[in-house]
Amino acid sequence: MIGADRQRTLWFLRNILPHESALRGWLSRSAPQGVDPDDIIQEAYTILAELETVETIRFPRAYLFQVARSVITRHVRRARIVSIHAVDDLDRLEHPDEAATPEQLAIDRDELRQLALAIAAMPVKTREAFVLRRVKGVPQREIASRMRISENTVETHISRGVLFLIDWFGRGGNKRSQTSKNTEVEISSLDGRTRHQSRH
Amino acid sequence: MAERDTSRDIDQAASRWTARLDRGPLNPEEDKAFQAWLHGDPRRRGALLRAQALSMMSESAQALGPSFDPAAFQSPRRAPLAGLSRRQALGWTSAAAAVGVVVLGVGRPASGAVIRTERGEIRLAPLKDGSTVLLNTQSAIRVRYDEGQRLVTLLSGEAYFSVARDEKRPFVVEVYGRRLRTVQAGFRVRKLDHDPVDILVQQGRVELDASNLGGSSEAMALEANTRMVLPELIGGRTEQPQAIAPEIITRELAWREGKLAFEGETLQAAAEAFGRYSDTRIRIRDPNLAREPVSGLFAANDPVGFSRAIAHVFDARLEQDGDNVILTRAGGGH
Repeated sequence: MIGADRQRTLWFLRNILPHESALRGWLSRSAPQGVDPDDIIQEAYTILAELETVETIRFPRAYLFQVARSVITRHVRRARIVSIHAVDDLDRLEHPDEAATPEQLAIDRDELRQLALAIAAMPVKTREAFVLRRVKGVPQREIASRMRISENTVETHISRGVLFLIDWFGRGGNKRSQTSKNTEVEISSLDGRTRHQSRH
Repeated sequence: MAERDTSRDIDQAASRWTARLDRGPLNPEEDKAFQAWLHGDPRRRGALLRAQALSMMSESAQALGPSFDPAAFQSPRRAPLAGLSRRQALGWTSAAAAVGVVVLGVGRPASGAVIRTERGEIRLAPLKDGSTVLLNTQSAIRVRYDEGQRLVTLLSGEAYFSVARDEKRPFVVEVYGRRLRTVQAGFRVRKLDHDPVDILVQQGRVELDASNLGGSSEAMALEANTRMVLPELIGGRTEQPQAIAPEIITRELAWREGKLAFEGETLQAAAEAFGRYSDTRIRIRDPNLAREPVSGLFAANDPVGFSRAIAHVFDARLEQDGDNVILTRAGGGH
């Protein structure tokens, strides 16, 4: 597997991904104005992908929050004009909430069922290709001949399937709306996702 | 600075690369493009890691066995013209059973019959033309089909209509004097006690009769993925239908799976939502606690389980007193 080796991906799947919703919740509550939680999450994952080794990480959850915090600090520093408000906000990031979120509990309890529901909710053709590839292990080339579609089309279906899972398990248009700053993000994301991006 | 990609754009590209890498090795040209993409933005490698991890996770669906049939997990969508197939009916029943919701009475109602659900009950009513109505908790409909139209009146509560196509006989939903009309669609109509009528169209197209609208003489159409809240008074000012993201629709319709989905609603609002589904009442003593945002997917018929999760996360104390579940901040401070 290029991009990240299989070992790292598996580690990430088991140790990091289950905490994503908690991290997003915490970021939505605590990140300074103009910082999009989804940007921070992706960038934090990049750092985890690029680490030489993850063997020394004993508390992945705490480590993840720490990495996310460092990303925020970097963002705030990169923005030339740092408002006093933003600096104040950073202090609030000192103690990430370490409790499991209800979301996470729910997913732990029936992750498999969620997966089945997610797959069931995919568009029909995408679902067919995705199940053949990921569940039954049929190579893309063979799926193409079985479904009588081009290999490119199979690839497109697989990619849609993956994006579907990202939406289902992760972000799913789920910008939190409990604070006004996020409401703004939410509105802009509904509105054809025009970028609510300020100082970079 | 040039227009920056949104995190969503990046997820999309990451999904595409994941699929491409899964297909087979990259040729040198593709590899160059891949490396350029990967290093062009500090978020991309992380997004790719997540996409690959979820792709890897999907392999665990193998655990569902070789006979895994995703259709069995599907919510009712478009019903076939010939009526609900046996497999669909079974699939839906078993999916609902898996989350502890009782589905009763899969039999066709007589014309003019009222179909209602008790608190906590979800009920699928197949209609003779192949359409189905899924009733949420404490809801009631009356069905009257004739030559000219298929009329269903929503008397109270919330229902999801899967309408089979019939050009000659429109499907009409009447709710508090308003009429919604469609040839084929999947849509939700809700009328709760103190709230206005709320319509959500997931598939197809639904028209709101012109007689409902003040001033304007043209019927208003709701397309797929739109939502509209009708004014309290007939002829009152009507807002335009609002486009909403499919993910939000999925959340709004989680009840069809016997679930409640929250995305940052206050704990108070979540507690009230549970109140629709059981006699158990979640009472929150502390106003600060009541304002805490809640996210997650929960079994609608398990308010106690929900409360336990909440107590755990917000460090609250939970007491049960008959039908009341009481949540207080631990330490009693507020």
